Amino acid sequence: MPSRSVKTAGLPYFRPIRLILAITLLLSLPVSVTHAGLLRLAYDAGFGGAESLDPYSPTRFYFTTLTLFDRLVQQNHEGGIDPGLATSWEVSDDARTWTFNLRPGVRFHSGKPLVAADVVYSIHHALDPERGSPVASTLAVIDRAEALDDLTVRFHLKSAHADLPLLLIDPRCGIIAENSAATIERTGDGTGPYKLLRNDPEGITLLIANPEYWQGPPRVERIEVVAIPDQVAQIQAMLSGQIDYLPSINRRQLKLFENNPDFIVQTIRTGHWPGMVMRTDQPPFDDVRVRKAMRLVIDRPNMIRLALGDGGGEPACDTPVWPGDPYYADMGCHRDIPAARALLEEAGYNDGIDVDLYTSSVEKLFISMAEVYQSQAAEAGIRVHIHQVPADGYWTDTWMQESFVSTRWNQRPADQILNEAFRSGASWNETYWSNPDFDHSLDMARKETDPVKRRSMYAKTQQILFDEGGAIIPFYLNINRVFSARISSLPSEKELFIEWRRVATQ
Amino acid sequence: MLKVLLRRLVMAVFTLVFVAIVVFGVTEALPGDACTAYLGKLAQGERLSRCQSGLGLDKSSAERFFDWSGRALQGDFGDSLKRKRPISDIIAPRFRNTVILGTSAALIGIPLAIILGVIAGVYRERFSDHVVSGIALLAMTIPEFVIATVLIFLFAISLKWFPAVTILPTEASVAEILPNIILPMITLAFVMTAHILRITRASVIDTMSSEFVKMATLKGVPFRRILFRHMLPSALLPTINIVALTMAWLLSGVVVIEKVFNYPGLGTLIIQSIFDRDLPLVQAIALMFAVMYIAVNLIADFLVILLNPRLRTRVSAEGG
Repeated sequence: MPSRSVKTAGLPYFRPIRLILAITLLLSLPVSVTHAGLLRLAYDAGFGGAESLDPYSPTRFYFTTLTLFDRLVQQNHEGGIDPGLATSWEVSDDARTWTFNLRPGVRFHSGKPLVAADVVYSIHHALDPERGSPVASTLAVIDRAEALDDLTVRFHLKSAHADLPLLLIDPRCGIIAENSAATIERTGDGTGPYKLLRNDPEGITLLIANPEYWQGPPRVERIEVVAIPDQVAQIQAMLSGQIDYLPSINRRQLKLFENNPDFIVQTIRTGHWPGMVMRTDQPPFDDVRVRKAMRLVIDRPNMIRLALGDGGGEPACDTPVWPGDPYYADMGCHRDIPAARALLEEAGYNDGIDVDLYTSSVEKLFISMAEVYQSQAAEAGIRVHIHQVPADGYWTDTWMQESFVSTRWNQRPADQILNEAFRSGASWNETYWSNPDFDHSLDMARKETDPVKRRSMYAKTQQILFDEGGAIIPFYLNINRVFSARISSLPSEKELFIEWRRVATQ
Repeated sequence: MLKVLLRRLVMAVFTLVFVAIVVFGVTEALPGDACTAYLGKLAQGERLSRCQSGLGLDKSSAERFFDWSGRALQGDFGDSLKRKRPISDIIAPRFRNTVILGTSAALIGIPLAIILGVIAGVYRERFSDHVVSGIALLAMTIPEFVIATVLIFLFAISLKWFPAVTILPTEASVAEILPNIILPMITLAFVMTAHILRITRASVIDTMSSEFVKMATLKGVPFRRILFRHMLPSALLPTINIVALTMAWLLSGVVVIEKVFNYPGLGTLIIQSIFDRDLPLVQAIALMFAVMYIAVNLIADFLVILLNPRLRTRVSAEGG
């Protein structure tokens, strides 16, 4: 009998049959099995596999580092600041020394307890010019950090800054363990709500809930971060139930998900803005009256409707600080064609003025915004000649070169955007604006420790910008994002960076 | 015969050199250089000069071409600007994935095309021919991305039988990959089948009306024997070239399919590297596609010469 079974197993045609059976079995497995306790998030693999788990790296794997690491402080939904790894903090009267008290009993994923030396190390790691970290410029005001004892850290600043915690809520400012620089990009060893199980930035990265998390264990057990670079492919994956969340879809794609019981759509307001900027050091824009006229001609709600579609954005009054920012100055701005004409005549342009606007399809929105502007400005005798240049080389050969160009910025805190793009001599000062009053009130705002006074000072800087600056910022962009209906507790519409540990699935 | 084979080989090498010059020349002709293209808004100051000296952009074009092509011959394409890793390391797994997709589609598509082509040819102008040829015409005229989208809509989004896009760990084995690429495989096989099928059908019809088949029929040879012993060997010979062309198209033309299905092959890689303006990577992949195209055609030429007795003898009569 044994010999017979051996013979059967050895039949040459038996193997293919088993293989075919196996393949058929594999194929018949239902694809979109929905596991409770699993969240699948798509991201665009923007660094093509060079993604690093070091939160300070220029190629950080941001989707993942946001859940692996914690910051000293965190932003709450009202724009204020909540404790994070630090439970409390004090500032000296001259706003040049900050002391943070750390939360006791917090552990890294590796088991190492969190101490002040880790915070000191993280900050110095961020500031190390060799790392080329994009937060280095944000944190440049910090001279050095010092551990007073195991749970107390002191920051010494180069110049007064009354809002240091606002800088430290930057989602990139995660706290890493002391001396982990060499390994952090692979281990992702933080204190965050999720631990790394497998790092595969071009495939599927696996994260697992940290049961000892200091804010309580996350509600979903596993997260898969899935690389899907193509936007259309992301939509298809979402529609077929392969992923649970899409961070941003355009208005046409919105129709696929609205009124569909399988999905939930959220529209969130952001501080991302596109704009058109004039060089204030070159004619005709070196005349403040011309700049003002150029801004008075815009019908902002109408521009939103024509360039973005209804609900695509919120009107802005040429300030880069967005309404969600605690320092936003609500100034109000209305279209005033007669006033614009009067200003132009005063500046010597009695028959209207010709201006050249350089733009490109480098951002889809640029062209439509330019065209709407052209037709709106024509009513005041401003003849806008649109020059569409190739997307290749737009940011090198045109932007910050020609005197009137399209631009776009992502949401940034007030202090950061005002300093990086509008202070005299700043490297991204695209309007070449140099105004001592403005620079001075920025410095004063930073020094002011009284929050009410500080707020009025930031409002003053924005007012100066509105009266004299060279940037046309017609609106802030809204973002549409989609969740699968499996997600039972949605994040707030005020969260641009979602706290995934609060999200639950069915 | 050897002489002809050699001549083909030399021609292939010349084509390759020509392609290399074009690929290099086109990127040279772009405004700016690889560094300004890549850095975009950040192309200024130290960052720009560091990038330029890293790529050796201070040397002359000719010098850089010989440098680049010399190292490319040894499989060294330098480092990717965006990915900061050796290009050969980036390309190797992508190349493997593209070959897996292409081969699996070919394994389904080519036999299917030949069988259907023979059926259509043998039963010319009958019902089965009309059905097969009709479908083939459709497959040829509808662009592959439309077919792909329709398949995704039907089988992934409505019926939820197969995954819409490929989501796989980077180090997935072939067994893990296959169940995830059913739709791209079907799409590719569908488009590919159409071309081969039509050539096969025409060739079978040609052969059927030839003297030797008539002769055999008159002699009373059974139809099955005529078909398999006499007709097919000579009818299938012309299909080798079209199969090769289709294979080459498969390997290089999968760009669209890979993109639609998020498949981690060379096609999606070249699209991403173009978006990233990562010119060294674009050049390397473009060259890879050229090598594949030329190699597959070369192999087909060799096969035709080796398999075709007439060509074989004529060649030896010509060239000794």
